[in-house]
Amino acid sequence: MSGYSRSEPLARTAREEANIRTAVTSASQSHRLPGDGMIDRRSPLRFSFDGKAMTGFVGDTLASALVANGVKLVARSFKYHRPRGIVTAGSEEPSALVEMRTGARREPNTRATTQELYDGLIANSQNRWPSLRHDLMSINQLFAPIFVAGFYYKTFMWPAKFWESIYEPMIRRAAGLGKSAELPDPDHYDKAWAHCDVLVVGGGPAGLSAALAAGRAGSRVILVEEDTLLGGRLLSDGGEIDGMDAREWLRSTTRELVSLPNVRIMTRTALFGVYDGGTYAALERVSDNVAMPDRHQVRQRLWRIVARRSVVTAGAIERPIVFPGNDRPGVMMASAVRTYVNRFAALPGKRLALFTNNDDGWRTAETIQRAGAHIVAVIDPRREVPAQHRRLVDTYDLRVLAGVVSDVKGGVDGVRSIVVTNNRNGQTQRIEADCLAVSGGWNPNVGLSCFHRGKPIWREDIAAFVPGGAPEGMATAGAANGELSLGACLRDGHSAGAKAAAECGAAGKPGEASKADEEGYGIAPLWHVKGKGKAFVDFQHDVTASDVTLAQREGFESVEHLKRYTTLGMATDQGKTSNINGLAIMAEATGRTIPETGTTIYRPPYAPVAIGAFAGHHREENFHAWRLTPSHHWAAKQGAVFVDTGLWKRAQWYPRAGEKDWLESVSREVLAVRNGVGFCDVSTLGKVDVRGADAGVFLDRVYINAFSSLAVGKARYGLMLREDGIVMDDGTTSRLAEDHYFLTTTTAKAGPVMQHLEFCRQILFPDLDVQLTSATDQWAQFSIAGPNTRKLLQALVDPSEDLTNEGFPFMGVREVKLRGGVIARLFRISFSGEMAFEISVPARYGAAMAENLMIAGKPYGVTPYGTEALGVMRIEKGHVAGPELNGTTTADDLGLGKMMSKKKDFIGRVMAGREALVAPNRQVVVGVKPTDKARRLRSGAHVVPRGEIPGPKTDQGYVTSVCFSPVLDQWIGLGLVERGRERIGEIVRIHDPLRSEDYEAEICSPVFYDPEGVRQRG
Amino acid sequence: MADFSWNTQSALEKALVPGRHGVAGTQAGVTLEEVRDISLVQVMARRGRAAETAKAAKKLFGIEPPRAPGAAVARNATLIWSGPDQFIVFSARQADGQFAKVSKAFAGIASLSDQSDGRCLIRIGGPRARQALAKFCSLDLDDKAFPLGAAATTSIDHTAMNIWRGADGTDGHAVFNMLVFTSFADSLWHTILDSSLEYGVQASSAHAA
Repeated sequence: MSGYSRSEPLARTAREEANIRTAVTSASQSHRLPGDGMIDRRSPLRFSFDGKAMTGFVGDTLASALVANGVKLVARSFKYHRPRGIVTAGSEEPSALVEMRTGARREPNTRATTQELYDGLIANSQNRWPSLRHDLMSINQLFAPIFVAGFYYKTFMWPAKFWESIYEPMIRRAAGLGKSAELPDPDHYDKAWAHCDVLVVGGGPAGLSAALAAGRAGSRVILVEEDTLLGGRLLSDGGEIDGMDAREWLRSTTRELVSLPNVRIMTRTALFGVYDGGTYAALERVSDNVAMPDRHQVRQRLWRIVARRSVVTAGAIERPIVFPGNDRPGVMMASAVRTYVNRFAALPGKRLALFTNNDDGWRTAETIQRAGAHIVAVIDPRREVPAQHRRLVDTYDLRVLAGVVSDVKGGVDGVRSIVVTNNRNGQTQRIEADCLAVSGGWNPNVGLSCFHRGKPIWREDIAAFVPGGAPEGMATAGAANGELSLGACLRDGHSAGAKAAAECGAAGKPGEASKADEEGYGIAPLWHVKGKGKAFVDFQHDVTASDVTLAQREGFESVEHLKRYTTLGMATDQGKTSNINGLAIMAEATGRTIPETGTTIYRPPYAPVAIGAFAGHHREENFHAWRLTPSHHWAAKQGAVFVDTGLWKRAQWYPRAGEKDWLESVSREVLAVRNGVGFCDVSTLGKVDVRGADAGVFLDRVYINAFSSLAVGKARYGLMLREDGIVMDDGTTSRLAEDHYFLTTTTAKAGPVMQHLEFCRQILFPDLDVQLTSATDQWAQFSIAGPNTRKLLQALVDPSEDLTNEGFPFMGVREVKLRGGVIARLFRISFSGEMAFEISVPARYGAAMAENLMIAGKPYGVTPYGTEALGVMRIEKGHVAGPELNGTTTADDLGLGKMMSKKKDFIGRVMAGREALVAPNRQVVVGVKPTDKARRLRSGAHVVPRGEIPGPKTDQGYVTSVCFSPVLDQWIGLGLVERGRERIGEIVRIHDPLRSEDYEAEICSPVFYDPEGVRQRG
Repeated sequence: MADFSWNTQSALEKALVPGRHGVAGTQAGVTLEEVRDISLVQVMARRGRAAETAKAAKKLFGIEPPRAPGAAVARNATLIWSGPDQFIVFSARQADGQFAKVSKAFAGIASLSDQSDGRCLIRIGGPRARQALAKFCSLDLDDKAFPLGAAATTSIDHTAMNIWRGADGTDGHAVFNMLVFTSFADSLWHTILDSSLEYGVQASSAHAA
């Protein structure tokens, strides 16, 4: 699933191409160190940033390559357009957001720190105009005093209508991040499931130890790591484990993990969600490390991982300190400085200052000195240099200042100097530096453990929150659990892995935990250095310390209110580097402790996930599954136009050469049926085999009319109600044997009716001996209609079959033998009002049936017809369908009240008798035809008494179904009209505000065609 | 008038294009095969007649139907669990009258429904079959969780699927049988094929044996 350097060139402008080619020859990497780190110097890569060609190496991220090229300015901030640089080296990056790729693949807000470098990579800065260096939008900074928290609420209150048309577009232009591509994403995404006993989240020292312990014990293990490489902080900080160099240990541990067949390692995979029942969601960046995915390969894959246990070893995130000027390019987290130097052999600055309040930050001094750069000063607010660092101070003759950084001077090129305020006397001094490494301590990554509302617990000794109340089955270990020394991480991870494996029943031995120093971690919390100038809490949303205190003054003291009022932590990084600082400043302002102040609720996703990954395969034509009728390919060959009805694709009409529009085709099909014969695939109707000794009794209970009295070999129209007395569905049901009924439903309700029937069978009537099977897909079913139907059928069936009125009466059903030997079921039922049969054969004969109907009917001009003609004929005949069975109508509303049996009980009977459902003024089904025969009737139009002004009080119903009737040569429709049946012949006003139409129509009988029903009994 | 010809058509008439698809290479990672000319009979015990149904099955097929999710292989048929007191009889389609013969054996003790045309049988095998399956099937199909003879009623693209593990392929890799609704088969074939393209696919159809 991984694989280095599958790079392919992508479409570039000639100029970009030329720029990139020049770059290969001119070494641009002014800040590249001689050491190797984890990059491959034999594999140089070309890339461009804002059109400037540069080079890097395989193993670089875009951020590390920019650092190596001496680039400090990479972005403009969200609100104030302040120049910004790279702050971190990980997925928590708040500032270094870039637009990746171009055209349809353009992707905004990509963290340069997680984007792997590939050959030909094109990235651009965002939210600036006309250029990153000269951003005219930075004028916003001048207005900074008014762009404070709650700015929108306060400023643009009035006039309200200006908001959408003027203010919002204006603000959106001025503030914002990158622009998304305007073309459809050409790449593919998919989703997959994975299963394991133990899921280990994070491949640092604790995660590796956990995976190894669980893997050795014999559990099925999945280890996910968002980075390209396993190792976590080991890749940056090294150390000594079991007497070997950390990288050597990493190699041997990885080797052992890979050798275990029960362990699966997934790199480039970030876990972002924790759901019920041990389900986790992760995003695998399959092809983000290449310009274009390989053919047949996806860009990203969304994983749903089902795990019996999980061990979260997601590490910790180093915390910035809030001080004036802390957002200048070149102010970087101390751990990130070590990562760039040690892992990527890239030096963020040549003269670095270090500002730390904890022992871990001090490691940076050694890294920088060893890299051959110069530490200009170490600023530590604590009174004394920790004992363990004295040696460092002596060795490198470090200048140590007991104080704080109170300002950072510089411009678009980044830090030029820092101002240090002495702790004891308050005196300030200015120190030249081009990079400031900052460490405010470490925040364990508690997010995943809090997704089920677990409340993190404050630990005073490390001045940080640790997990509290993780979801069932989840354990946390290592730095994520507040264990901040390498030795403790190894021990904690191993023990959590071994425990999880044992809980899953693994019987093997987890082996011994690896050993390393358990170095101490001293910290004196420092949240905020007060002073003039903007001190940023949330870099991505431009939220400053004064915004937090302003929120407090204005009464937004709860952290949840603070978040909404200032937008703190609401950017794409979800406040990974800012939330704790923000609430600490709020705690100080309100005089409460940090645990009293509390954290905001943690919710997934932990990291941004592209919508494409959630959609996966299900987009465009694959948006949902489709269903094809047995004669689909035959119909396609005839040139049928298809319509989506639910999941089905149905032939809507069959256009013929020379027909000018759909109406002409549909009218031809209707007349062909009325005057001759036609057929239509009706296989989409739901079909259910109802069997068992009590099948008849069962149907008596679900239908309003009786079915136990139906004779074998006969069909009957049935109507079923919901429990609340409203009509649920209708259809014909036939009795094929004493203990076998064949029930049909409408196309739309096939699924819900089957569910309803199963519910009735299993829950309501468990005593009945009845079995149900969906047979919808088993049968290809065709309606054959028109005066010549019998002639056509006679050619198709075996000569021994009697199809006369005597031999096959109306509503008769039986099996018939077809010429050629196939057995079919024949039903003498009619939806069109014509002499009609429905014939069904096993689905595999569906295409052959269509062809044979054409052959058998050729002498009679047989015409295939689609759903439109079907609809026209049912409206002409006054048959109700979906628009009338709309979840508001009773049997009586549909004119079928007499079908409700008084001799038996049935579902919906009692509730159908409620006052409002039997009220005399209900809207009932009637026919509607415009008085002007040339007028087109539209469904949805309202029915209003003549002479009344349309409005809610005068509204008396609406038109539900319309069609052009070629038989009557005018538009007709069905409608639901108040007291409609008493008003036949009345002229009403048809009011259609949607289409600005107003005209008159006559209320009439819904049966427009052959009201005596002579034709269908023919 | 002459007799009509009644050619049969598979639901995968258009969707299934035999041969190689997706990533090229010496060995296809996934083999997809539609098994045609199948006979499927849904057998559901009448109320209180489960034991007799099992007995009748034993008499007819020589084995008892599975009482829990699983597939029992007899000489001429496979009995696949499909729910409490019900199972599907899968066999190769023979001359007409097959359904009638089975019906007779269960007369009065079980309700039967012919589903031979209601479902489409797709077999997936090859070294990467499980990876492809993971994209459209949420079940754990690991050897430990889904051994030979395992069966499940599950979903694919929000519609029902019966899946069971038959004998391993001649290549030694696991083979999974997927029964899906006929009308969905065209759509689901595309889902399955698209999920498999990155591994290289060999597609074919075969008659049920």
